[in-house]
Amino acid sequence: MTAKKANKIMSLAEAASLVRDGDIVALQGMGTQMSPLAFVRELIRVGKRDLTVVMIVGGIGLDWLIAAGCVRRVIAIIVNLDEFGMAHAFRRAVETGEVVMEEYSEHQLLSRLLAGAYGLPFLVTRSGLGTDLLAIHHETLRVIACPFTGREVIACRALEPDVAILHAHRADAYGNVQFFPKPIWLDVDVFPRAARRVIVTVEEIVENEEIRRTPIHTGIPYFQVDAVVEVPYGAHPCSLYPFYSFDRRLFQEYASASRTVEGTRAFLEKYVYGPATHEEYLQRVGGAEALLRLRQWA
Amino acid sequence: MVAIAREYTIDELMVVTLARQFRSEDIVLNGTVSFIPVAAILLARATHAPGLTWVAGAVGVDAQPEPLIGNTLDPTMWKRCVMYLPQEHMWSYVHRGVLETFCIRGAQIDQYGNINNTVIGDYARPKVRLPGSAGMGDMGSLDKRIFIWTTTHTPRTFVERVDFRSCAGYLDGGDSRERLGLKNGPQLVITNLCVMDFEPQSKRMRLKSVHPGVTVEEVQAQTGFPLIIPKEIPRTEPPTVEEICLLREVIDPHGMRRREFRSASGRE
Repeated sequence: MTAKKANKIMSLAEAASLVRDGDIVALQGMGTQMSPLAFVRELIRVGKRDLTVVMIVGGIGLDWLIAAGCVRRVIAIIVNLDEFGMAHAFRRAVETGEVVMEEYSEHQLLSRLLAGAYGLPFLVTRSGLGTDLLAIHHETLRVIACPFTGREVIACRALEPDVAILHAHRADAYGNVQFFPKPIWLDVDVFPRAARRVIVTVEEIVENEEIRRTPIHTGIPYFQVDAVVEVPYGAHPCSLYPFYSFDRRLFQEYASASRTVEGTRAFLEKYVYGPATHEEYLQRVGGAEALLRLRQWA
Repeated sequence: MVAIAREYTIDELMVVTLARQFRSEDIVLNGTVSFIPVAAILLARATHAPGLTWVAGAVGVDAQPEPLIGNTLDPTMWKRCVMYLPQEHMWSYVHRGVLETFCIRGAQIDQYGNINNTVIGDYARPKVRLPGSAGMGDMGSLDKRIFIWTTTHTPRTFVERVDFRSCAGYLDGGDSRERLGLKNGPQLVITNLCVMDFEPQSKRMRLKSVHPGVTVEEVQAQTGFPLIIPKEIPRTEPPTVEEICLLREVIDPHGMRRREFRSASGRE
């Protein structure tokens, strides 16, 4: 963790070098919302391997990473493409044993991450009593008796990701990160506090003075952040409300392409390996005209 | 005198039946791809349960969105809400029982209302990897009144024993849920064929009513375990003209609720 009040602005490639093969990577994303997908495309292009990806709700970025062979293990409560259906690369990889799925209920995973964020060995929950989730996680979930009442609770072992990757509305060069509105989803709230390193991509880098004028929007302070990358439309095809909506057309294209291994590969060629830069990617998904449409969601 | 609708479809009947379960004092949140529950919540609020609080997508408290346009977790659903509920606060309300009602569907449902949305086959090497337990892994164990809905009433969905228990229903039946210290549990199962509840002693699934044109024999044939079948099985209470008008013209004019009938697998 870089406590320094220093300039942390990097390129996508520089920031991607902070992720090592084998890392536990906490990746922001909530269905079709707020996911650092430009960064995910960079991770795929540089060919990261053996990652453990933590997402509360696994989505399209995770499915791409799996299809590209970057992932060994997934820690999540659900993986799908929201209203667009199954995450097929995920499904195939778990069915063949290529990727291990470590599934939790939402509050179990939150408890693991909060324990990490507090530096505690575990936190307890009642979520999942009576389910088979307890039987598959002997190393991370154990039923214990409350020392005060004797009542059964589940101890959820701390989880500290090596690196958290998020996409936000704006930040200054030091890594004071602002959201509009402030963080609501669990990953935005807890990932930066539980992780050892934090990489944030933003729509816009602003002056430190602008942050000081609007501290009510700051969700992550500079002393938690290691890298800041300016990537307009960095969540595309996911949304970053209120700036832009998700790209229904691209979600649909991926949902049908990913039904086969060949289709998935062709999609990655076209949208991930093909464009050399983020700007080229934005051209390929329709350029200014298509992006303007996404801005007019309301 | 309440006017009964003459023409209505199964999706409309399912929404109306679910809506009638909600009470004015309820605080209800919805999960992902939940068009039928969201339409039902909005319908209940517009009719018999004006005091009902909806937490849209588990975030937008008392939201007042325009007609349903898709994606039940999307911020477009949070419009005109009074607060964006931070998710950690949401979980404290869920644990303390402030939020007590939840709707769930899944790929497999057994005779005691346990639900599987994790795997078909073995967990480590599944025949089919399903999306995952998500909120149902929590809600089943946190004393919720659970309403189960599915648009695929088949022996593949209604199985004697779920391959994986993602959501705790009445576990092994009888008092097994109670013995574990879990309160409430599944209340009702609303499908494309019928409505079922749970017999109070054994906690086995029991046929309550059949939808128009559906026979008791057909329901049993499409269910992979023996249902408790009382002597008299009424027809599912039809919608009123008011309910159908509100649903078609105000709440869901784009027919988002029908998207849940698109995939026959119930796995999405």
